[in-house]
Amino acid sequence: MISQWIERQRLFIDFTLASLLRRKGKNLSLFAVYALVVFMLASAMFLTQAMKREAALVLKDAPEMIVQRLLGGRYDPIPMEYVEKIKSIRGVVSAAPRLWGYYYDPVIGANYTLMVPRSDAPASEKIVIGNGISRTRMIYRDDILSLRGTDGMTRSFTVAGEISPESELVSADLILMAETDFRGLFDFPADRATDIAVSVRNQKELLTIARKVADLLPDTRPILREEMVRTYDSVFDWRGGIMIVLLLMALLAFAIFAWEKASGLSADEKREIGILKAIGWETADVMIVKAYEGLLISFFSFTVGILTAYGHVFFFSAFLFVPAMKGWSVLYPDFRITPFADPYQVAILFCLTVMPYTVATIVPSWRAAIIDPDAVMRS
Amino acid sequence: MIKLSGIIKIFNSGRTNEFVAVGGVTLALEANRVTVLKGPSGSGKTTLLSLIGCMARPTSGRITLHNGLLSGKRFSGIGEVAEVEVTSLPERFLTEVRRQTFGFIFQQFNLVKGVTALENVMLPAYPLGEKHDTVRRRALDLLEMFGLKARAAARVEWLSGGEAQRVAIARALMNDPPVIIADEPTAHLDSKLSVDFMEIIAKLKAQGKTTVIASHDPLVCGAAMVDRVIAVRDGRIDGEGP
Amino acid sequence: MILHPAIVALVLVSLLLTMMSLAGAFFGIRIIRRWDLSSGSEEQLVLERQTYLISTILSYVLVFEIGSLFLFIYTADSMHTLFTGAMCAAGTLYVDSYGYPALLLKILNVILAGLWLIFNGVDNRAYDYPLIRKKYAMLLILAPLILAETVVQTLYFTRMNADVITSCCGSLFSLEGGSLPSDIAALPVKAAMAGFFSVLGLTLSSGLVYRFTGRLGWLFSFSGGLFFPVAGAAFIAFISLYFYELPTHRCPFCVLQREYGYIGYPLYAALLVGVICALGVGLLIPFRNISSLAGILPRVQRKLTLGCLLAYLTFAGITVLQMVRTDFILLD
Repeated sequence: MISQWIERQRLFIDFTLASLLRRKGKNLSLFAVYALVVFMLASAMFLTQAMKREAALVLKDAPEMIVQRLLGGRYDPIPMEYVEKIKSIRGVVSAAPRLWGYYYDPVIGANYTLMVPRSDAPASEKIVIGNGISRTRMIYRDDILSLRGTDGMTRSFTVAGEISPESELVSADLILMAETDFRGLFDFPADRATDIAVSVRNQKELLTIARKVADLLPDTRPILREEMVRTYDSVFDWRGGIMIVLLLMALLAFAIFAWEKASGLSADEKREIGILKAIGWETADVMIVKAYEGLLISFFSFTVGILTAYGHVFFFSAFLFVPAMKGWSVLYPDFRITPFADPYQVAILFCLTVMPYTVATIVPSWRAAIIDPDAVMRS
Repeated sequence: MIKLSGIIKIFNSGRTNEFVAVGGVTLALEANRVTVLKGPSGSGKTTLLSLIGCMARPTSGRITLHNGLLSGKRFSGIGEVAEVEVTSLPERFLTEVRRQTFGFIFQQFNLVKGVTALENVMLPAYPLGEKHDTVRRRALDLLEMFGLKARAAARVEWLSGGEAQRVAIARALMNDPPVIIADEPTAHLDSKLSVDFMEIIAKLKAQGKTTVIASHDPLVCGAAMVDRVIAVRDGRIDGEGP
Repeated sequence: MILHPAIVALVLVSLLLTMMSLAGAFFGIRIIRRWDLSSGSEEQLVLERQTYLISTILSYVLVFEIGSLFLFIYTADSMHTLFTGAMCAAGTLYVDSYGYPALLLKILNVILAGLWLIFNGVDNRAYDYPLIRKKYAMLLILAPLILAETVVQTLYFTRMNADVITSCCGSLFSLEGGSLPSDIAALPVKAAMAGFFSVLGLTLSSGLVYRFTGRLGWLFSFSGGLFFPVAGAAFIAFISLYFYELPTHRCPFCVLQREYGYIGYPLYAALLVGVICALGVGLLIPFRNISSLAGILPRVQRKLTLGCLLAYLTFAGITVLQMVRTDFILLD
């Protein structure tokens, strides 16, 4: 019984393949559109999911907790003496002040992030810049970058090097400099820091320690790394979701297109089905053939769409999306995203493409399958 | 044999273009005989033929397939029976009965275009799920019987009229049906090929098959092996005899 | 609302499913009212053709429902990072009051769709469609349930609030706390084991009896259906402990994650297959006396019985294998 069923399916699939090849024109255009829709959706999804993953990986190195000071509900530099106070809380392994800030460059209309690294800070009047800056301002090693301080005076800095491209996602707009230069540029008070990075011994106690910090220093706000991760996650998810919602319009058009293609049987095709019914095929048999048609087309289109999207995003850096994304910031990082595609994403894409296609073709397939063999007799 | 009682077939019933194709036919067709339904076009003989061949269901009336036709055939769900009333069978079972009982030869041959002769002959067996090789061999044997083995791999568009006709007959015989149904088989054939066709029918009769032909070709109606000629007119039986 | 791509996909799928099942129900109403197999009228022919459409639609509904169920759980699981306190799907589902109802409705609909397809398959094999009206009446129950599932699932996603602190499975399924999950978790282990193995034994033995003698069908079906919730409760009460090798981790969802080899998927798939087969047998028993089904029904029921036994044996096999393999000792 089972072998009979298998043989039946084998014969039907043979017939379906031959039948698809017999109508190359119609099926190729369907395949092209289908693969394109999958390609667009898959590209959007691979890009946002991979970037989400990159952000998470990068954030892994971020401090577990950052303590900021608030003045009147708004951010204010934090007194250095708070460092010792935080260190005195039980469970805190280390507390270190951080110096960083934003600098607006009117030449290209972009914001730089200036930072004093905790170790290996550049020498005085030397800076290390990120790739985004060096590309956009075309400044390289040994060139000079001038920055205007709060006091109105221009200071010149020699580029001692560039930040390695692996971390471009976060470092594209970064400038590293010495502490004295930083404080001089911004007229930053000597007894203050931007914020304090804290690490604790036991992850589970993070919340408790954060609470203790807030109790001990009521004018501060502790920010946990996992909160940041969550925020980035939801932003990327949201962006991915928005893209997909927009692409739903394309999906709807595709569904209508699929319906039309499946319904538009040529006279030849109608005749063929009529003949099959007349020589002894049931409606159910014709529906099986139609189902296999849909399955084969879906399989090929889906595979090709996914593979090209994969290549597009991970080998060609999603060049088709760049014009749309460039608007998000001036210094667009040029980075090779680590390939990241898992079965979960494939399943979601399947639900967004193959399922609607299948549903759109159910009724047209059925209408084709119920063609009366009678009509053949009298033709 | 095949028994029809009070068969009526109405198309588009209830609408303005309502049309009575068959208006009350009672008929008993005997096994192992060649019966011809004679009548002009529009007489309803094609409809009658499709009703006999279980390709359509009558609007009212009963059709029964009797013993002799069905011996040795087993229909799943119905079991081994002496007689099957096909009028109220759902499509699935009707098709199965038809598949195993009737072989059709159409006016225009109705071979699937773009497909080889061999595959065309194999098609009726696909739903049955026999092994691909078995089906293929049987089809080849049939083609050989009609002298077409050399043309097995040819696309049907390249076949001559006579070759196409013989492929159509081979296809009709694929599932070894006891009844052959032919609708105006000689309409597109010259006299020689028409005579060839009737000779094949005679051979099949000798093998024990039943044949029902719808035709107004005098070559067919007057052929020697024809046992019975029934005149059909305006959806009713109008008498018998040549 | 969190506009995750997976959520968009799930909502889309649910809408499609609702559309399809409502269409099926709509056609079904006409069939219930006007079906007359003995008539050769054109209306009857149209109705007969429509049965093919509805069968096809429902087949796809089942396949998509199953996919949607597992995608739903996986999505809930992967979204746990967005909610404080959630470590796996258990916490994500708890974020608002519609999460667990959505899950339960999905499971119910998978089972009902499976049962409908069994019913439909049997009806189609008989030459006079003896069960046709009952079949489509059943559809009138299934379609609103799928609609309800869509509504509840959408509410779940729209009510989701990232600021809400939810519970992790450790506290949801912990021994303290007065909720239903913790009551199940607090079942004494020996009693739970006894219950689990005795229902399993009853199902297997009555199944074998039924398979070979055709008796005790009701008992088998009832027992097989009972095993589904019993196995679920047993999983929370003690089976989970063997998989996680921790005395406090009883979550039914964590076992679907990679670190446990995705073993949850075959486990739950086996349970679903088993319960559908067992209930299918019971569903068909009242119709054994219909003449046109006389040849078909027993064969189908035997196959279903076999399917159920194999499925439940798979579940038990994986479970017992884990219990034996692991170093974790629960009972001395």
